[in-house]
Amino acid sequence: MNNADISVLLVDDDEMIRDCVAAYLEDEGFSVHSADSAEAALDSIAAIRPAVCISDLRLPGMNGDEFIIKAHSLCPATSYLLHTGMLYSLSDELRAIGMTFEDVLLKPIHELSQLVDKIMQIVAKQGEKRNEDA
Amino acid sequence: MPPKSAELFFKSESRYRMLVENSCDVIFSLDMEGYFTYVSPAWEKILGHEPTEVVGHNYREFIHPDDQPGCVEAIDKAVRSGQVGESTYRIRRADGSWRWHTFRGTPHTDENGVLTVIGIAHDVTERLRIEEMMAHSGKMMMVSGLAAGMAHEINNPLGAIMQHAQNIERRVQADMPANVKAAAEVGVSLELVRAYLEKRGVFAFIGHIRSAGMRASEIISQMLQFSSRGETGVVSTDLTVLLERVVELAATDYDMKKKYSFRAIEIVREYAAEPIFADIAQHEMEQVLLNILKNAAQAIAGVKMQREPRIILRSSFSEGIAELEIEDNGPGMDEAMRLRIFEPFFTTKEVGIGTGLGLSVAYAIVTRGHNGTIEVRSRPGEGSCFTIRLPGRGGRDE
Repeated sequence: MNNADISVLLVDDDEMIRDCVAAYLEDEGFSVHSADSAEAALDSIAAIRPAVCISDLRLPGMNGDEFIIKAHSLCPATSYLLHTGMLYSLSDELRAIGMTFEDVLLKPIHELSQLVDKIMQIVAKQGEKRNEDA
Repeated sequence: MPPKSAELFFKSESRYRMLVENSCDVIFSLDMEGYFTYVSPAWEKILGHEPTEVVGHNYREFIHPDDQPGCVEAIDKAVRSGQVGESTYRIRRADGSWRWHTFRGTPHTDENGVLTVIGIAHDVTERLRIEEMMAHSGKMMMVSGLAAGMAHEINNPLGAIMQHAQNIERRVQADMPANVKAAAEVGVSLELVRAYLEKRGVFAFIGHIRSAGMRASEIISQMLQFSSRGETGVVSTDLTVLLERVVELAATDYDMKKKYSFRAIEIVREYAAEPIFADIAQHEMEQVLLNILKNAAQAIAGVKMQREPRIILRSSFSEGIAELEIEDNGPGMDEAMRLRIFEPFFTTKEVGIGTGLGLSVAYAIVTRGHNGTIEVRSRPGEGSCFTIRLPGRGGRDE
């Protein structure tokens, strides 16, 4: 699979964070989309159907964890990562949709190549699952 | 039968004498030169001197030099104005240690016309200690709340700095087709751009931005631990077992092995015979104990020891309180350092070695996270002893 076939949705109200993560992922060839709020992301996620969605925890309006629950009901095939500046333990709702502590990324990500590795692992797992289901 | 009036009651000198001699406060009289003409028995109980060592001596002999001006002023005021003079001062005990006293003095002229100052001195050492502790913990709470809030706010810009440094590195990489293409579009050779950046040390600068960012980020993550409590599971834990686990952990720690030769330190165990339990976040408490152990080993390694290096570990339980102690025979610290040891960013270590956050995080974990207390006793040249007290259960876990 070409990376251009892998779409990633970034949700963060901080433009600096969106830009620097997007720049890195674009250089890796991913198809990168971004949204500055949970609401904006919910408007576009069904059309994008990203393989991976990375959401900030603290967002204006709807919080990241709440957003993921809503987004998951729209796009259950998408894998979600929570990006947070605070130590965070997953809520029961997020555990229920299959997220683990490995899906929580602590800001700042020191090495963006680790984020790329993480996305590639997720996409590989999604591929395995599709093969099993087929 | 109750006395009819206070006047009648106090007519009897024997009653006066009884009151004075049984008072917990020190009652004394001074002549106009400042020599004691009388001290009540409480003096000996509190300060340890025999009355003959005091009567006939000047009060200044017993007062801390820094506190003498305040006392002189209070006595002057009493004599000049006839009003009550007050002062708080340190007074030397027979064993050389200092107690804090506060006194009220009034002038008195006896039947022979001799003027003296009659004073009552109250020991306030314990009260001051508690006040100091409360001020300290209030300050800690404020700083730690601030630290956690700041840490969170700093993470985003710090992330942008570090990650954009990575983006810059990548956008001048020779093997990335997008870079080659963009260079061709503006008519420059990517190799030459790279050669220039290399020659002018720009790559090194970018590397420095990244490593400086990493260092800041480590500090931030420690600061964030101020706010992390109750999030990790709290479980009933045998504290002695936990302490042993931390000793094992310490023995495998790289710094402990290579820099502080932890294995060369004799570990003495004075544990409670029965297990002692407390409800704790194990990982956090491990961090607290490891931090204290590391500091102890580091302190021992930092000086030329005249004695065999030793750390004593104690666990005990009494009246609902579980207690752990870690005592080292390292260089110890003076009172000024001891008072600041739990303050965030207070460090005696070199820049880049210690952030001054380890013990302040420990303080926050024990006091706020676990409703416990953490204290340190120390004497320069003799070592330090950290004591952690937690609400606990002794004997068996229920």
